[in-house]
Amino acid sequence: MTAGGLRAQRASAPPPAAPEAAATPAGWDAALALAYERRGPRTVLARNLHTGPLVVQKPLYPEGEALCHTVILHPPGGIAGGDRLAVDVDAGPGAEVLLTTPGATKWYKANSRTAAQTTHLRVGANAIVEWLPLETIVFDGADARTALSVDIDGPGQVAGWEIVAFGRGAAGERFTRGRFRQALEIRRAGVLLWAEYGEVGGGDGLLQSAAGYAGRTVSGTLWVCGGSVGDAVLAACRDAARELPARARAGVTCLPSGITLARCLCDSTEQARGYLLRVWTLLRPLYAGRAAAVPRLWAT
Amino acid sequence: MKPGLALAAAQASQAAAGESDVAASPSLSQVPSSASSASLSSSPSPNPLTRLLHLASTTLPVGAFSYSQGLEWAVECGTVTDRADVERWIVDCLRWSVGRFEAPLLVAAHRAWAAGDDAQALALDGWMRATRETRELLAETLQMGYSLRRWCDDTGALDADWLARICRLDSPTYPVLFAAIAAAWGLDARTMVTVYVWSWLENQVGAALKAVPLGQTDGQRILLAAGPAVDAVADDAIARAVATGPEGWTTQCPGLAIASSCHEAQYSRLFRS
Repeated sequence: MTAGGLRAQRASAPPPAAPEAAATPAGWDAALALAYERRGPRTVLARNLHTGPLVVQKPLYPEGEALCHTVILHPPGGIAGGDRLAVDVDAGPGAEVLLTTPGATKWYKANSRTAAQTTHLRVGANAIVEWLPLETIVFDGADARTALSVDIDGPGQVAGWEIVAFGRGAAGERFTRGRFRQALEIRRAGVLLWAEYGEVGGGDGLLQSAAGYAGRTVSGTLWVCGGSVGDAVLAACRDAARELPARARAGVTCLPSGITLARCLCDSTEQARGYLLRVWTLLRPLYAGRAAAVPRLWAT
Repeated sequence: MKPGLALAAAQASQAAAGESDVAASPSLSQVPSSASSASLSSSPSPNPLTRLLHLASTTLPVGAFSYSQGLEWAVECGTVTDRADVERWIVDCLRWSVGRFEAPLLVAAHRAWAAGDDAQALALDGWMRATRETRELLAETLQMGYSLRRWCDDTGALDADWLARICRLDSPTYPVLFAAIAAAWGLDARTMVTVYVWSWLENQVGAALKAVPLGQTDGQRILLAAGPAVDAVADDAIARAVATGPEGWTTQCPGLAIASSCHEAQYSRLFRS
């Protein structure tokens, strides 16, 4: 959050009737701070603080008590110009956490103010954090900035993905105005292992360029830090692209820093999620020591 | 090189560095009057035009010709099939990838080296490494950095002080080391970034000639057409390096990153990236 700090939740604020009406004059701040602890065989949500409209549902344990599934809700349903969201997750030593969202994150058309979401994940020694939100939809005219920073203590393991749709593709909308900025930084013991910074303006040539988004409206990136990916698994991850339609593009690489990246460019969020799920299914046993189980929430 | 010669070279090169206030002027037409002072050693020419031609030359033994940066896969998969496609691909990579991160980083590294801020140069080296999108693109900048440092060691192109400074980098990335040489040789940032980007462009065109393949005339047409983009990227790199640091530059070119990832598994290939 910015230096202005967190303001109290405005409980009376109604959900927006329409995207353009969502912005209150000063924007709507929300912050969520979660801390997890490993207590014997169980990972518990030991601290859960929030201000504004960012809350979590009751922790779930569909894969056993070691792994705490947490669903983050943003009841307004979309982020309007001027809104600022901050999520802070602290997984203590040995804690195992999977975080997701029940629906798409929507960045509404801006009313001349930038909206921002910052997410920080701290991964304690031997902890495992999985950051697997549903897709992000950037409405035409949105002005948004997202930043995700990950700090890993020593031998912690972390995986995450980001699926971004430029424009509401199903409605034929394209991203012709506005700006979308993304930052992702992964550090281990304070050393920057990997960083990616994106900035796309509505209608930018980058959206059509073959070296950029190649005219596909959805991009997906899965990043995994931890576990040793051998040649056979890497080859299997690459083969996962064969199930995508011919127009889609996808590739996998393993960096010497121990980070594996799968990227795709598709025509729909379903294609991107399906592809990233297939790669995640191959990699999860390596970094988490358990088979992939698709949260029921995503099965809709 | 024998120790005695190395010392002589270092002294001569320091003498040349003393003239670099003149040499650093943007004008390339100035030739310092004491041009003979370094003529018997392996230190660089006092004429900035001569020095920049040397840095721009494809004879610089860093192996740049062996990399296509995903272009070979773009050809393999049918994204790039003719001269127009090549020109679009290269100019887009120049604008959106090289121009948005590597070129501003080069300028910032030059500024850091020239100001004696070696810690900042080291930090920028870490940013360059951390932002490489794929294993092949990372390996490329590290191999070229390694070769460029060997060239410095083997030729006496840098004096002992500069050699000691660059040796503090553990496996340097190519642009950070390139910036050190440009700073040591007194080239100004605008000249340096133009040389760097032009070399990148020539190398991409060279890769396209083999991979597509295209004829020499097509290659020359692409170089002509991309010239204005080189100048625009050089100007923009200076502005970006002044305005912000690495967190404000951008790296996201998913099509390029995917092409490079797929190239890693390409069955039959001429290039190392």
